[in-house]
Amino acid sequence: MNDSGPEPSADTLAALFEILKSFNKTGAELSPGTRFTEDLNFDSLVVMEFIAVVEDSFDISVPLNILPDVATIKDLAIAVEKIVAADK
Amino acid sequence: MAGLFDRFAPLMGQRDALFGDSGVNPFSVKMDRVLSQTEAMIEGRRTILVGTNNYLGLTFAPEALKAAHDALEASGTGTTGSRMANGTYSCHKGLEDTLCDFFGKEHAMVFSTGFLANIGILSTLMGPDDYIVMDADCHASIYDGVRGGSAQIIRFKHNDAADLDKRLARLADKPGNKLIVIEGIYSMLGDKAPLAEIVAVKKKYENVYLLSDEAHSLGVLGKYGRGLPEEVGCEDDVDFIVGTFSKSVGTVGGFCVSNHPDFETLRLVCRAYIFTASLPPSVVASATVNLGLVKNGGALRKRLMRNAQQLHAGLTAIGLKVASENSPVVAVVAPDPQVAVAFWRGLIEAGVYVNLALPPATPYGYSLLRASLCAAHTEEQLNKVIAIFAQVAAKVGLAAPVEHKRSAVG
Ligand SMILES: Cc1ncc(COP(=O)(O)O)c(C=O)c1O
Repeated sequence: MNDSGPEPSADTLAALFEILKSFNKTGAELSPGTRFTEDLNFDSLVVMEFIAVVEDSFDISVPLNILPDVATIKDLAIAVEKIVAADK
Repeated sequence: MAGLFDRFAPLMGQRDALFGDSGVNPFSVKMDRVLSQTEAMIEGRRTILVGTNNYLGLTFAPEALKAAHDALEASGTGTTGSRMANGTYSCHKGLEDTLCDFFGKEHAMVFSTGFLANIGILSTLMGPDDYIVMDADCHASIYDGVRGGSAQIIRFKHNDAADLDKRLARLADKPGNKLIVIEGIYSMLGDKAPLAEIVAVKKKYENVYLLSDEAHSLGVLGKYGRGLPEEVGCEDDVDFIVGTFSKSVGTVGGFCVSNHPDFETLRLVCRAYIFTASLPPSVVASATVNLGLVKNGGALRKRLMRNAQQLHAGLTAIGLKVASENSPVVAVVAPDPQVAVAFWRGLIEAGVYVNLALPPATPYGYSLLRASLCAAHTEEQLNKVIAIFAQVAAKVGLAAPVEHKRSAVG
């Protein structure tokens, strides 16, 4: 989990929570600290599908390279915001 | 403190749960004696091999055997050196010339395996400002290759040209080069890439290159065996072809061919080319001779496809779910890993060898009994294989025991 450093905006988090609803098979409570592997049981196939939806909804490309550093929803929100900013 | 292998405990636990500690399993099964391209002794049984990727059956081609023997006598058992140091003999150059002729390309580089060709090329070709846009179902060596490089890696949905288009559109304003990476025939299910559509998408954008790994389509597709680009008629649109000698060419080794004018630069920067021993001369001789047989192998390709159709039709007729039609890879989809393991064991015990492929190594999380055909399989052998599949399928509760009818093809 990423406890220091930048905080993602509430909008980004809300958008990710919304997308995650249909991927949340464990029924885990969704918070910034929710972990994809441990709490949501995501395997590589689900990650691929989920990231594709995130890419479409933000109209960005999320490279595979960043995934090792993304453990929680907050990590992903920060990564998404970085990509959105870089695309401007 | 955690033990060295603790993080693999869940995996080992899964393996133990699936295979227990008795009975054959894919990790321990061995061929005690290879009898031919299509038969071996396994656990004392004469076994029909339907999972070798030896598509054209060239592993015992007399011309290649002789050339390999001669090279062995003349040049010894190994080169003891890398291509860059003392490991380039005239035969290595000769093999690269043969590849250029075979593909009609200007440049060819030979690697020690297909795996290393992918590692070498894919980790080197694209730089930090570039993008690799790869099919999600690409082989492990492609994943490891792109991960070993510095480019940004984007995946598109398997065989989905529209999804590729969407991803390239998003990258269109980025200054870097883009490399699309696909395979001609995908190894697990045997399905082909929609190459014409992919080429059409490629042409919509600037600075986009295309690399196809023809591991399973070399020798199999195209009038002269040059793979999917030849079959589709778009060889000029595929900028880099990677391939292996370990399947239809019947030996070991990998390569990349291209018309790119600066291709030779790769010899100076590709670490998987520079820092590993070159192929032994006997292997180079086998590959060189067998490439000629592949080129003139129209009759073998016909037999291969006839065999593929026979097996596909036979397995479908007994009620099994088979992934791809008209493919030298015939993958039977089992409902779960437990059934797949029982099925695989039943086949081995009845004298049929196929590949067991389980998630996460498989697309869609499939549990597969993956068969691959050989031009040297006889109709009788395949009838026997189909009959044994039917018996075992019934035993593991997968299909009703149907009397196998002689298939119409072949
Ligand atoms: C698509 C693909 N690429 C590369 C390879 C690696 O080839 P090699 O056996 O020469 O290392 C394989 C086979 O294992 C493959 O299926």
